[in-house]
Amino acid sequence: MEALSALLAGFDTALTPMNLLWALIGVTLGTLVGVLPGIGPALTVALLLPVTAKLPPVSAFIMFAGIYYGGMFGGSTTSILLNTPGESSSIITALEGNRMARRGRAAAALATAAIGSFVAGTIGTILLTFAAPAIADVAVQIPPSAKFALMLLAFITISATFGGSPLRGLISLFFGLAIGLVGTDLQSGQARFTLGAPELLDGIEFVTVVIGLFAVGETLYVASRLRRGGASVIPLAGNARMNREDWRRSWKPWLRGTALGFPFGAVPAGGAEIPTFLSYTLEKKLSKHPEEFGQGAIEGVAGPEAANNAAAAGVLVPLLTLGLPTSATAAILLAAFQGYGLQPGPLLFVTSPELVWGLIASLYIGNVMLLALNLPLAPLWARLLLIPRPFLYAAILVFSTVGVYSLNNSVFDLYLLALFGLIGYGMRRFDFPVTPAIIGVVLGPAAESQFRTAVQASSGDFTVFLRQPLSAFILLLVLAALVVPQVLRWRARRTTA
Amino acid sequence: MTEPSVAPARRGPSVPDLLLALGVLLVGGLLLTGTLQIPFGINAAVGPRAFPLVVALGTLLLGLALLVAVLRGHRAEPAAEEDTDPGQPADLRPPGLILAGFLAGTLLLHPLGFVLGTAIMYVSVGYAYGERRLGLLVGVALAVALVTYVAFTRGLGLSLPPGLLRGVL
Repeated sequence: MEALSALLAGFDTALTPMNLLWALIGVTLGTLVGVLPGIGPALTVALLLPVTAKLPPVSAFIMFAGIYYGGMFGGSTTSILLNTPGESSSIITALEGNRMARRGRAAAALATAAIGSFVAGTIGTILLTFAAPAIADVAVQIPPSAKFALMLLAFITISATFGGSPLRGLISLFFGLAIGLVGTDLQSGQARFTLGAPELLDGIEFVTVVIGLFAVGETLYVASRLRRGGASVIPLAGNARMNREDWRRSWKPWLRGTALGFPFGAVPAGGAEIPTFLSYTLEKKLSKHPEEFGQGAIEGVAGPEAANNAAAAGVLVPLLTLGLPTSATAAILLAAFQGYGLQPGPLLFVTSPELVWGLIASLYIGNVMLLALNLPLAPLWARLLLIPRPFLYAAILVFSTVGVYSLNNSVFDLYLLALFGLIGYGMRRFDFPVTPAIIGVVLGPAAESQFRTAVQASSGDFTVFLRQPLSAFILLLVLAALVVPQVLRWRARRTTA
Repeated sequence: MTEPSVAPARRGPSVPDLLLALGVLLVGGLLLTGTLQIPFGINAAVGPRAFPLVVALGTLLLGLALLVAVLRGHRAEPAAEEDTDPGQPADLRPPGLILAGFLAGTLLLHPLGFVLGTAIMYVSVGYAYGERRLGLLVGVALAVALVTYVAFTRGLGLSLPPGLLRGVL
């Protein structure tokens, strides 16, 4: 098997003492930021980009991969002990897991989440190992017109298909696209939307946008509606562990959750929420104790947590093989690749096999590290939840300042950061999702470039998108992604009315 | 999750939502004017204008759709985040304080240096989040700023403005 020998070479890269250390730093940081409110893996990778400028790319990506997987593990701790989902894919875990914790079963809830995440992460990584090279082989032959159509599909599914409000998702996306337009047009050298400011000729650093929308926006928003009297953290005595009955009830949901999660992550179809909801519904249907659901059923934690992590592994398939990010963190990883002068996509497997396979190998290693970090150390992570909020959010703001300032040593960027912070506040206040904006900033310029390449290659003939069979087929999917959910919604409303 | 209290069943358009929809339309209009100022590229089937035009027109269209939705009585539901209480009315003073502290710290970043500049930001956030032990807050702020400065300049080789502490550190 070609993939196996490549993977072994990847382990050669990932198992050097330095890279093991970076992986350990990554998973530790990832768990930390997963546990802490107000900061997530997307933000952490963005904050660390300037810091890693001096690292070799392999080590940087091994650390980023650790942060990415670690964030998933840590998020479940917060959901279970604090009943506050950090992201929409943790809603179910918060629902069932927190009930379990309140019934004194916190240790079992944390354990089934951690072991389920490990099982799903490992199976997902195995699937990635074999699917990615195969897809990359095919993807080399995709023409620019179809690449543009694929990006369009990613835009639509991420912003319009599965969110709460398609309109709000699309507005967020277009905001991101508009930000991506600022700066010099690379193909013609024309300055666009720079408002005469020389600082804007190079465009707006996406790191500034990400940190502004996520960290500063969150800090401002939480301040405006701060929960009085602090959070009610459920205390955890001892390690995260499960008894025989818990194991018996958990292993099938883990596998079913994985089977649901991976494909949803791998096709650009709106991230991890859908498979977690599907897994929850499925477990409720299959369970012999359906009455326990909503009261703290262990299957309701095991399945969705596995689905969540399998989706995270799945997201890496389109990212590595097509250069298509389908989550905010993936978009930042894509931008990080670009920062190193690398373009994720089919050619990455040919041009930088050491990087790709070192990264994939490090995912296996990271998963094992995370299991070891999370089961015995669960009480330690739980204590992080007790950090007083004034000191926590103040520190997040200071780190954001360092991250943005050190990009270009520019005070101008800090004013931009404040501006995006205000916009991030407004997006939370008016219920706009942030991820579509991030995807728009990162993927917009690439989409424009594919579009223009495609039209130029066909000497100005716009019908190329309809005549090229693959592009036409994907555009049809785009249309379906826009129309079908609306029809379903309309029919649902009609039958209930 | 949502608050079942307050708000009668039928209500007119909410003013903040209305302003927001108009704001999106305004951004679309500005994008369109900006687009028309971009010169046509030469030797290109699709010039530097085409994509901005699509984005501008799209924004206008979406802004219009939002305006219609708001006029029909739709209103945005503020996000529920970790550490927030969705049932509570928004208080704009704390975020205002944070923003003021951030801008002050940014202005003073070069004259006073990184440590004091970010310490100002730290104190303003901590105070806005309800910390009233000012001595402790200032102490932690200086410690965090100093440790960050040393770690990032010495450990990672980034350059941050030393300001008043030039020569000392």
